[in-house]
Amino acid sequence: MVWPYLTSSIIFGSLFGLMATGLTLTYITTKVPNFAYGSFVTIGLYTSYSMNRFSDFSPYMTTPIAFGIGGVSSVLMYLGILRPLARRGSSLVSLMIATLAIDIGFIGIFGIYADYLRYGFNMTDSLSFYQILADFRLFGEQGLLYIAPASLGLITLGLFLLLSRTKFGVAMRASVENPSLARILGINVEKVYVFAWFLAGGFAAMSGAYYTLYSGGGVATGSGLIVEIFAASILGGLSSIYGATIGGVIIGIGENLLTGGGIALLGSWVLDYQKGIPLLIMIITLLLLPRGLASLFE
Amino acid sequence: MIAVPSIIIFGIDLVKFAVDLGNAYMLFLAVSLSLNLEAGYTGIPNFGKVMFMAGGAAISAAVSGLLAVMILGVNVHGNYNAYIVTVINQVNASLAKNPVLSVELILLGTILAAAIGGFLGFLVSYPAIRLREDYLGMLLLASAQFFQIFLGAYYPLIGGTQGISVPDFFRWAGNGIGVRDVTILGFLTVFAIFVYVYSERVARSPIGRTLRAVRDNETATRALGKNDVAIRRNVIIIASAISGMAGALLTFQVASIGPGTWDRITWTFYIWVMVIIGGSGNNFGVATGALWFSFLSSGITQVQNALPSDLPIDVNWIRYLIFAALLLWILAFRPGGILPEKSSPTLARRTLSRALEEKPG
Repeated sequence: MVWPYLTSSIIFGSLFGLMATGLTLTYITTKVPNFAYGSFVTIGLYTSYSMNRFSDFSPYMTTPIAFGIGGVSSVLMYLGILRPLARRGSSLVSLMIATLAIDIGFIGIFGIYADYLRYGFNMTDSLSFYQILADFRLFGEQGLLYIAPASLGLITLGLFLLLSRTKFGVAMRASVENPSLARILGINVEKVYVFAWFLAGGFAAMSGAYYTLYSGGGVATGSGLIVEIFAASILGGLSSIYGATIGGVIIGIGENLLTGGGIALLGSWVLDYQKGIPLLIMIITLLLLPRGLASLFE
Repeated sequence: MIAVPSIIIFGIDLVKFAVDLGNAYMLFLAVSLSLNLEAGYTGIPNFGKVMFMAGGAAISAAVSGLLAVMILGVNVHGNYNAYIVTVINQVNASLAKNPVLSVELILLGTILAAAIGGFLGFLVSYPAIRLREDYLGMLLLASAQFFQIFLGAYYPLIGGTQGISVPDFFRWAGNGIGVRDVTILGFLTVFAIFVYVYSERVARSPIGRTLRAVRDNETATRALGKNDVAIRRNVIIIASAISGMAGALLTFQVASIGPGTWDRITWTFYIWVMVIIGGSGNNFGVATGALWFSFLSSGITQVQNALPSDLPIDVNWIRYLIFAALLLWILAFRPGGILPEKSSPTLARRTLSRALEEKPG
């Protein structure tokens, strides 16, 4: 009874950790909440779905490709839309509404793509597909249970090493904390931001590719996850990369364990309100600890 | 029975097109003006607009529907949500003979919707006015998304994910398309004009200037003795009450309700598109923006109807792309909108010119 919720907590904890890390990377570089971020998860979903249906690729093999496509789209969004708008002096609210517009544009593009797969290649489930059953099994559990936490661990370790042990990482931290001073020191701040956006889109698409192994997907799946991703990022402090990772893990575990526990104690109706848990965590964080978990460690 | 004439050109019934366009426009006008009050004048980025409409819609559907059944003495076996489908024709037939009761229930539902909208606005305003713009936007977006889930999950209100039929309180004006639509257009027009006149009066009054001051510099406003927190709260409450009423009127118009109607694309994003295209902080501009939007949107629907139905692509995707691109284009090349905000006259023009003439030298 409780075991499925335990496995889903581990998987979603890891996936939300990845997604929140990426979202925070976009936030700390541009200071704009990126409402389109969920759609980069959808990019991963569709990359994985198409490659699996066309040539039977395992979603793990599609992950690097999803990472690349997500990263490049994210960079295009930053260079093509957000940066020009910011340079024209758009207000914060205008930039926020611009990301909302990009999200809806993405849903349109995914919809056209899904319709194309449907009519062009007779993939009848392209608009809403169930999980891809191509995962390997290890010790009686699906591989994602091991791969997702391992990926999150490796990526966090990689980010840590990058930010603390390499010259480029130190330049990254400098550009985020004080862009003008970093520029004076000869750091190419723009290059750093582009790199951050590439990583962010990549992380989202990568978690999207993993997501297809565990849950269903459709054109608006990623867009619907945005609340959880934001909750995770806010819980982490919205400007701390490691905070976001921890926030994502807490949101993923909390949402699934509380739902599982709630169903066991109160009845199955709790399941309907599952998506309210991250929102509740978000509101409590904003009211009690507005600067998130990161403020506890300063 | 009175009939509405039809003028058909290129297979499009122009009168029906105009009436449908009018109905859509009047609702969009009221909601976009209320968003303009929040976002345009006061600087509250309400990315959860849909929640307040949905709240008003749900309460009006539930209460007016139940009251109609009780007053007309229709037996629903004590379970309104489950049995309303089976008796809906009977209820509608009785309502058709009873225009006074119908209109009373419409008004009651709309007033209740305003109350619930305002209450939701009050609830949200507690954390909202204490947060920075970016956090506030995220919180409102998240709340609205949860509210849609709540509507689907909480069966007693509007019958869960399936939704329920709502008695047709406009049945006395005729069945189906035609005179009924024109009657609804009348109701919606009165409502929209009321909202427009109200918004315009607020905008031109000293309160309107206070709102802009809160938007542009809250510290300065506070220093001048204005309570910016209370001002923001009140604006959210009033705008949400208007949205709630609009939600109720839409529900009575389509005579059914379900959580699927209340997605953030139609009733949050599109409303923002209207405000930004038209010119945020300018009521006439927003009215123009809403007109452009309604016209484009109805036009796309007409094209969709004219195309063969086995088209390999859903026209809605194209609609998303068009409006997303349009919004981004406006943000980049005409950030003030079609009619940008104008500086507000502090005195009536006549008084001002007289004062200038009297100026010595």
